Amino acid sequence: MNSFVLLEQLDSALLSSILHSSGSQLSDDEEEFNWLLKEEVHSVLKQLQDVLKEASRRFSTPTPGLESQQKQENFILGSSTMDQVKGVLTLQGEALTQADINLKVAKSSQVLHFQFREDKLWKLQQIQDARNHVNQALQLLGSHDESYHFKTGAEVNKLMDAVMLQLTRARNRLTTPASMTLPELATSGLMKMFTPPMPGDVMVNFYINLSKLCLTVYQLHVLPSNTTKNFKPAGSSVLHNPGAMFELNNNRFEVSHVHKVECVVPWLNDTLVFFTISLQLCQQLKDKVYVCPSRRSHKVTQRLKAAALIG
Amino acid sequence: MSGNNLVLPIVLWGRTAPTHCISSLLVMDDFNTIITGCHDGQICLWDMTPELEICPRAMLFGHTASITCLSKASACSDKQYIVSASENGEMCLWDVNDGRCIEFTKLACAHIGIQFYQFAIGTEREGRLLCNGHYPEILVVDATSLEVLYSLVSKISPDWISSMSIIRSHRTQEDTVVAVSVTGILKVWIITAEVSRMQDMDPVFEEESKPIYCQGCQSISFCTFTQSSLLVICSKYWRVFDAGDYSLLCSVSSDNDQAWTGGEFIAADKVIIWTEDGCSYIYKLPASCLPASEHFRSDVGKTKEGSIPPLVYSIADRSDKQLLICPPVTRFFFGRREPFHKLLIQGDSAGRLSLWGIPDTSPLQPLYTALQVSSTVSLQEAFDKLTPVSAGIIDQLSALPGKEGPIKVTASVYIPSQGRLVCGREDGSIILVPATQTAIVQLLQGEHMLRRGWPPHRTLRGHRNKVTCVLYPYQISPRYDQRSLVSGGVDFSVIVWDIFTGEMKHIFCVHGGEITQLIVPPENCSTRVQHCVCSVASDHSVGLLSLRERKCIMLASRHLFPIQVIKWRPADDYLVVGCSDGSVYVWQMDTGALDRCVMGITAVEILNACDELAPATVDALSHSAVNLKQAMTRRSLAALKNMAQHKLQTLATNLLAADNADKGNLPKYSHNALVVQAMKTNLKDPDMHVLFFDVEAVIIQLLTEEAQRPNPILVSPETLQKSQAGADKGGSFLANKIFKQVKETMKETIKEHLLDEDEEEEEEMRRREEKSKSLSLLEYNLTMDTAKLFMSCLHAWGLNEQLDGICMERLGMLRPHCPISFGLISRGGHMSLMLPTFKLSLATGLKLTLTDIVGKGTYGVSRAVTTQHLLSIISLANTLMGMTNATFVGEHMKKAPIFTKQAKHTADLSSVNLAEKLK
Repeated sequence: MNSFVLLEQLDSALLSSILHSSGSQLSDDEEEFNWLLKEEVHSVLKQLQDVLKEASRRFSTPTPGLESQQKQENFILGSSTMDQVKGVLTLQGEALTQADINLKVAKSSQVLHFQFREDKLWKLQQIQDARNHVNQALQLLGSHDESYHFKTGAEVNKLMDAVMLQLTRARNRLTTPASMTLPELATSGLMKMFTPPMPGDVMVNFYINLSKLCLTVYQLHVLPSNTTKNFKPAGSSVLHNPGAMFELNNNRFEVSHVHKVECVVPWLNDTLVFFTISLQLCQQLKDKVYVCPSRRSHKVTQRLKAAALIG
Repeated sequence: MSGNNLVLPIVLWGRTAPTHCISSLLVMDDFNTIITGCHDGQICLWDMTPELEICPRAMLFGHTASITCLSKASACSDKQYIVSASENGEMCLWDVNDGRCIEFTKLACAHIGIQFYQFAIGTEREGRLLCNGHYPEILVVDATSLEVLYSLVSKISPDWISSMSIIRSHRTQEDTVVAVSVTGILKVWIITAEVSRMQDMDPVFEEESKPIYCQGCQSISFCTFTQSSLLVICSKYWRVFDAGDYSLLCSVSSDNDQAWTGGEFIAADKVIIWTEDGCSYIYKLPASCLPASEHFRSDVGKTKEGSIPPLVYSIADRSDKQLLICPPVTRFFFGRREPFHKLLIQGDSAGRLSLWGIPDTSPLQPLYTALQVSSTVSLQEAFDKLTPVSAGIIDQLSALPGKEGPIKVTASVYIPSQGRLVCGREDGSIILVPATQTAIVQLLQGEHMLRRGWPPHRTLRGHRNKVTCVLYPYQISPRYDQRSLVSGGVDFSVIVWDIFTGEMKHIFCVHGGEITQLIVPPENCSTRVQHCVCSVASDHSVGLLSLRERKCIMLASRHLFPIQVIKWRPADDYLVVGCSDGSVYVWQMDTGALDRCVMGITAVEILNACDELAPATVDALSHSAVNLKQAMTRRSLAALKNMAQHKLQTLATNLLAADNADKGNLPKYSHNALVVQAMKTNLKDPDMHVLFFDVEAVIIQLLTEEAQRPNPILVSPETLQKSQAGADKGGSFLANKIFKQVKETMKETIKEHLLDEDEEEEEEMRRREEKSKSLSLLEYNLTMDTAKLFMSCLHAWGLNEQLDGICMERLGMLRPHCPISFGLISRGGHMSLMLPTFKLSLATGLKLTLTDIVGKGTYGVSRAVTTQHLLSIISLANTLMGMTNATFVGEHMKKAPIFTKQAKHTADLSSVNLAEKLK
């Protein structure tokens, strides 16, 4: 055994003996834990509810029949470096109700213009999912109001786990858009939304990435059937690169140009911040329950305190 | 891999029942089986008698997340299938009789409800599963292949579906699906034979969409008695609707702060409603809700609210209930056949099932009568009732005088090369014990029962509290010292031990929290990192502890969330830490600098990139002590991994497939005959141990050792094969394969020994001597011991007394002293393990003697299990019969054959023979 080990053992022995001398330690610990369950947990839950209510308010849940009264917001999607694609999208709650897309085709310098058909709207499933997950989290929190008495740390942990699962899902829905294959995108129904109809060599996709509303335009060209090029269909991805290939209705296509434009949606940014704050609140509460003395044996408490003292 | 292996699991559950926090419930139509799913992903099968006695039978493993719903998946009673879905989108089809996994799949979306529906297409009937969940459609899934066929879609305000119900109408022959969305809109789809015939993926749109203003709908159910009303339960009120035009018939709000979670019709005029905290109430419906009454629909259009209908019964929740950590699950089922049970059933977080038989009559004094529980049992109670108690792997070494239960094993690792099991315990000690010997003590009767402190073992003391993880790095990579054993504990320390001398080599105290995991870095890391183990602690820190330098070379801490996964980018010298909130931290190993911290798609991409670069870097047995959930997610459980690759099914298909699968090359055979895997369903549970017997590997090892045994008659693989082949009449393909593998293994050992001979022989001898001396463990023949244990467990004791006598006296087999819990491994690493209480459920009502309980082997459990066991015992017995010492009694049990000069000579000869053959 080397000297380091000995030193360390001596150290911790010393510390534990110091801590041990305070006799009333155990009952203090119990009191602290009771305080945690009675007071602290509820104060954190209250805080969580406040934050999540704010988040939920941003999503503005539609009341049946009154969807049209929701606020409409216009977003201009563009990029500073290129001007081939410009889009003006109208977001109403969780759906895109109008879209104007201008596309400058590289080779012909001709400008194509598309917009949504009057009768169509495109629901952004990501926003709806995030909203529903937040509401579920709120529902979980709502069933444990101040009058509820938490009896064990395990109970608090279980509740926090359930809430965190919903919050993580909510946040992930916004931060990780669905990855799709190109044929999936081509048959998704989005292509049929436009007037004039979208030509066969152009595909578009809308999604949310973090707090940004994104529009991707793919320009395609048909691969001749006798091509010598190695045909390898691309897998699923959020954003395909030029050169990605796919097959649809016995035709082979290759992506020639990809244009991506985006615009920040301020209230989505708010919700993401709220999600992060509440997730941290949950984790901190779990950590508090975890280190709280009465939960564990006396010995470890000493170890913990020793560690705290050293640190 | 070489293909189809027959692997049989035997479980040592220990006295503590696994945590089973019930999340969903199902009663089969015949009322013989109850199925429960839990938050940790296991499914428990309970047998129920007509007298409503319940007894847990088996536990099904395979899901890696909380079970969200269960549903039956077949209509006929001769094959009983159920389907289960979990929070992370996994779906599994199980056979209720033997716990076999028939099919499994994983979707991106999580289901919260599944309903079985049978389509009639002409004369054919096809099963479909209608699923709703965290997505805006209802998915229609094939009940046998689990493929998504098409979906029921909403045109008007599509949103998640909270709950749905299938309405079978005898009047119109048109079945409908009625569902309520989270925003409170009622949707109706017509599902008829035409729909089922559709081949394309076209969605089916709703027939009707009507706002019914029921936000937060918990459940919806159809009255099968009158076929004309619907019950919708929301958390603050419940409502009855006309099933024809969906107009509101009555609405009742909860009087206090109770939250309703579900309800059903129990008669034409009565409903049962239950609350989140587990109370239930039976109400008599007002006349306006009863089609038989003249007042039916008399209140339609009137916004009358409040008048609470008369309470018929209130159902007492258990007063003596333990502290629950989450709301219980309540369901109501009624039998369509004799004895027409109407059952309210509740499962709670303590793994307890409670049943209430609902009477048809009303009590005389309604308000004061509480319905008493008919039957209740928890998993732990069932375990406690067992005599003899369910064995744990080292119970005899852990029993404390004056204490009730043995010291719990909290972390363990099995070292196959030494046949030794390392068990860390809750008191901080670590026990080293020969695995087969300790399993024999636990399972079989014999003289060993009288010896104190048997089997020989070694105790390492150093941790001050619970040991949380144990790692034997040499097992994963030979670059580590053969002597080092590493353990982590609740006391924040990581200790390095010399496994041969039992000496404590070093204590690392670098973390500020319990050690949760010990991992071995991959092969291609820098030399400095290669001699480290990676430790993960509950203070969200990761350390690289150098075993060679005896110091911590890097500590990555201050992660905000618990660490979920560790990955490596050896080429870039990066350690990638994935946290539970989805964030990813990239650390430079050399400098300890935080390179990046990312979230979202980038985080996912970084994690995926690590997988692509180095598949299976974190090797199998490195996390044996992690809970099963994690292990299954990573598919790191060695044995399960093998299963996944082998896709072991029933034997018949095995033999057929063998021809196809083995046409190719035969890779080096490196399976272990016995693998002991520690498992826990929940992190808080003590370890239970599963012994995986690989029948083929046992046979190969037996034959290999037989061939190596110094023998007057020259035994070479060829002669072996000849004799055996003669007996087999040409031999099956499988037999050929096995012999090829025996030869391969022999060649390998021969090669190794020839190489070792010159330089290392002496050192080897020295080491061997030292090893045996220092450990003072009995020298024993691991292979024969394994075979003995296995044969004794498999033999059907009590069928033929004469045979039993011969088995015990002449062959040295031992009789089990408790029923042995076998398991069944099915597709994709899914596994069904019998609970120790299974025998009770086989013959409930009868008073069983001990011999009855122990005897008869496992016959009668299920067809698949019987087939596997018969095949194993026949093949193993055949092999043993061909051996020089075809018994487990005698000197040869004491020592494994050692390569003597003579044996080496024999081996040389046979390898020469082989070489000639090859030419």
